[in-house]
Amino acid sequence: MGSDYEYSDDDGEYYDDEEMFDGTQDEDDSGDDVDMDNFGDDFKVAAKGKRKSYEVEYESLSQQAVEKLMQRDVDHICGIFGVDIKKLRGSKADTANLLLRYMGWNKERLIEKYMDNATSVLVAAGVTASEPVSPPAAPVRTHSIPAPNSSTPRRATTRGSKLLSLASGSKSAKSPPSTPNPLQRQLSKKADEAFVCQICFNDAPDLQTLSLSCEHAFCTECWTDYIVSKIRDESEHSIRCMAEGCALVAPDHFIRDVLIPEPGAPVGDPAKEELNSKTWSRLQELFARHFVGCNSSLKYCPYPSCTNTVSCPSAASKSSLTTIVPTVSCGARGIGGSAQDVSQSQHFSLGLQGKEHKFCFGCDIEGDHRPVICGVAKMWLRKCRDDSETANWIKSNTKECSACQSTIEKNGGCNHMTCKKCKHEFCWVCMGPWSEHGTAWYSCNRFDEKTGVDARDAQSKSRASLERYLHYYNRWANHEQSAKLSLDLYAKTEKKMEEMQITSALTWIEVQFMKKAVEEVDKCRMTLKWTYAMAYYLAKGNEKELFEDNQRDLEKAVEDLSELLESPIEADQIPTLRQQVTNKTVYVQKRNEIVLEDTANGFLEDRWRWNVSVPGFDDPEDA
Amino acid sequence: MSGICRTRLAEERKQWRKDHPFGFYAKPAKASDGSMNLMEWEVGIPGKAKTAWEGGLFKLVMNFPEDYPSKPPKCKFTPPLFHPNVYPSGTVCLSILDEEKSWKPAITIKQILLGIQDLLDNPNVNDPAQSDAYTMFKNDKTAYERRIKQQARENIPK
Repeated sequence: MGSDYEYSDDDGEYYDDEEMFDGTQDEDDSGDDVDMDNFGDDFKVAAKGKRKSYEVEYESLSQQAVEKLMQRDVDHICGIFGVDIKKLRGSKADTANLLLRYMGWNKERLIEKYMDNATSVLVAAGVTASEPVSPPAAPVRTHSIPAPNSSTPRRATTRGSKLLSLASGSKSAKSPPSTPNPLQRQLSKKADEAFVCQICFNDAPDLQTLSLSCEHAFCTECWTDYIVSKIRDESEHSIRCMAEGCALVAPDHFIRDVLIPEPGAPVGDPAKEELNSKTWSRLQELFARHFVGCNSSLKYCPYPSCTNTVSCPSAASKSSLTTIVPTVSCGARGIGGSAQDVSQSQHFSLGLQGKEHKFCFGCDIEGDHRPVICGVAKMWLRKCRDDSETANWIKSNTKECSACQSTIEKNGGCNHMTCKKCKHEFCWVCMGPWSEHGTAWYSCNRFDEKTGVDARDAQSKSRASLERYLHYYNRWANHEQSAKLSLDLYAKTEKKMEEMQITSALTWIEVQFMKKAVEEVDKCRMTLKWTYAMAYYLAKGNEKELFEDNQRDLEKAVEDLSELLESPIEADQIPTLRQQVTNKTVYVQKRNEIVLEDTANGFLEDRWRWNVSVPGFDDPEDA
Repeated sequence: MSGICRTRLAEERKQWRKDHPFGFYAKPAKASDGSMNLMEWEVGIPGKAKTAWEGGLFKLVMNFPEDYPSKPPKCKFTPPLFHPNVYPSGTVCLSILDEEKSWKPAITIKQILLGIQDLLDNPNVNDPAQSDAYTMFKNDKTAYERRIKQQARENIPK
């Protein structure tokens, strides 16, 4: 099994190489990859051990690391467009940022479009105004597109200059672009003209005003309020000029100058300044989120207030999700990433507070749904949402007519039933035909009436599919319920561990076996839960039987260990208990690994067959 | 922008009184005790000449939020108008009135009202807000035109 897997892994790498050579702009890409590896080590949070076949290779990135990736793209674009965009006001990096954000960080498309028609790209991205700045025209109507799609053919001379800039660009890309051109923070010098801010109508003579390159000036306070409300209320990272119809987007340094006071500036309202700096960091987060959202091999950690990102290129494509379950973890633990929370999570070291941020890279299902692949897991969840309550109700409240199999609810009256559909008359209790009840040979009270048994057989056959579903659903729900109760179990176990230290000579370190066992049980219950979803959809056959054998072994081991953990502690029994629990924990761990590994290998080998049609797989033969 | 909401509205009122387009009116609503409520304006928008809307004066209420002008006012025809881009409640669906689309703090009340007037005869079929007017506009232009003229007649100012 191992060698099989090794082979397929090599295969994948080989494929990657090939793809790289096939790529349209090869030299840039290969350069990127080297870069990535080089500083990838700097921000690796997750420890990398020997990878198992049910694990995927991924990397956890902090927001700073994502910003580094963004910066690399920005530098790249600066290098290529360098000379060209230097002519524009503002820093090169700002312009490159705006262009990349507009193009969803698709460098190739940006370069292509830019080479094709630089002006229209610059206008559409809000870097330059569409035409010589005009006074506000009539209001724009709903959904009118402001960007004109001018298609001026490029002259050959300009193309030549672009190639030159490409050569010189590689040099400038190396120099850090952290020397921004100072922005136009202009005091309204034309005091004699008595500037009035068109938004707040403040006409104070010492009013400070700001404008983008469109020269639409407004007072600093209005800019601040507007930017804060856009970022905080609307989570918008692209902030356009406040003038009506003006599509210019404020570059990063403009926003920073508005939100973050220059050193030495008069100290303003501290509460307001704190809000502004919070807004600035929120904007950085929005930028990172936008970048991550544009990149299919990155995903933002879905846990509340976590700002980490996971990079998992192997799960970036939809088709890869039929062979792997990309369960990843962002590296952070607990809720909220600040320092005070860390001490809190140490306090609840066993509880959920310290749980790592584990999620599936391929879908939105919370937590770990290994071993079953995203598509099947989603299908199962949908079925459960739609069907489980209905199925339970049907099961407990209805019976099928023994002649036509219509589902019937008895909502009153006597046991003499007449089927509305086929007019068959039968007894609700024994399901036998009523004709036998109305005569002298009434025998409903007697067990084993031949016709009654036949009728019940027919009914149970028609219920088989329902029963089958409920069989899997109940076990699935049971493990979910147990996992939910794990918080209680954690607390109980912690108490037991303390007890053990008092009653025996064991130290805190030595009683950790209990904690380990609880964690293992919790983990295995998650696996077991999803094996039922998998088994429900697996087509009958040898493979399914083997799968269910593995499932049974794991389930039995988990229940045994669970029971041990729940059993009362007697002082003289502690050494034996410790031995037993440790042994069982190791065994359970092994069983879990076998289930996960075998299932994952099955996906890689395309061994699993389903009883329904699953996207990405062949349709079931019998369907 | 909590502080500047009322200052701005007072200034808007001043500007409006100084100069406003012909046929329009706009004034802050009076509260029951007779005091002026700057946060709610009663306005009238005339239909453009040489269109089916000509002659009508359509009443509208503008509600300004506390964070105006960071956020746009809510504009609502009272009573609701038969128009593809007016919700059954009377609320107008227009990009310059949507903070996530084209709303800008620099847009004045005058510009909003001119924008709505322009919308009357130029409905945007990509963004229907009520089904009655939208279906009629799409399927039967003559009947739509007749209905609009009828509506204009019902709204002739006294």
